[in-house]
Amino acid sequence: MLTDQQFMRYSRQLLIAEIGENRQTQLLNAHIIIIGLGGLGSPAAHYLASAGIGKLTIIDDDIVHISNLQRQTLYNSFDIDKLKTEAAQKRLRAINPDCQITIITQRLNQAQLTKQIKQADVVLDCTDNMPSRLLINRVCVSLSKTCISASAIGFHGQITIFQPPYQHGCYACLYPDGQEVTRNCQTAGVLGPVVGMMGTLQALEAIKKICQIPSLLDSHIQLFNGLDLSWQTLMRSRSRHCPVCNHHPTNEGDNETTR
Amino acid sequence: MSITINDIETEFYQPQTIIALLEQLKQPTIGIALAINQTIIPKDEWATYQVQDNDSIIIFQAIAGG
Repeated sequence: MLTDQQFMRYSRQLLIAEIGENRQTQLLNAHIIIIGLGGLGSPAAHYLASAGIGKLTIIDDDIVHISNLQRQTLYNSFDIDKLKTEAAQKRLRAINPDCQITIITQRLNQAQLTKQIKQADVVLDCTDNMPSRLLINRVCVSLSKTCISASAIGFHGQITIFQPPYQHGCYACLYPDGQEVTRNCQTAGVLGPVVGMMGTLQALEAIKKICQIPSLLDSHIQLFNGLDLSWQTLMRSRSRHCPVCNHHPTNEGDNETTR
Repeated sequence: MSITINDIETEFYQPQTIIALLEQLKQPTIGIALAINQTIIPKDEWATYQVQDNDSIIIFQAIAGG
């Protein structure tokens, strides 16, 4: 049962056929963890707080730097040198005071991450480095938690969802090397709108997940090219020998890959 | 056989595995993923998976930034 204030605040999405009062209540009861409050995490956190997600746990150990302002939409010039978690919490509370924001201002190890992720409904991987992504994947697979994973560089973005039973694999199936191609300073930048778009889509997919709306990303990865505004949609495949997700049974039986 | 790689059509004169194809292209294999006809082929199959005539291959890089 929504209050009058909630009816007004969420009126624009209550009008959508696939949302409505019941689904809005599910959003209000949801707990989402956002790991990383940079270019992806900023718009993701903003849209999830404003959509009425009941509880957000936001994790980042960094402070705001002037170079962040080019793309990290939660912060402004007055936030420089402040902790990202504290600046973000203040901003998100102002956007939606009903959203309970828990902040964690440290880089978590596996045990700590496990404890946090256990409590969440959905995880958003908004980090900016491979070791974090590999760790998040290991923990999410071990806990059978849905992970909405996106990334961006230059004009390019990627987004997908890893979830049990891992019929289409996990992050380690997709990128078993656990490494990126070595890049130099000229190729390591990113455009604000590109990374912002990918973080925004993570929020959209999280809302769909809480509302039990199916997503192509459950089985596919989408690659965005900002130069020609094109998307590639590719079906993901489980790796038969993946050390991370291989213990999860699939619909077709042990270690079968669906093509 | 004719294969499209990242939208560029190329001719190859004998059947090959993915690994052999990447070697011919001098494409380093670390930090990349590959799809044939819109389906990703896991890396542990590249040594045995045979590329076919008219296959469309997409090679893309792992991106961790955010």
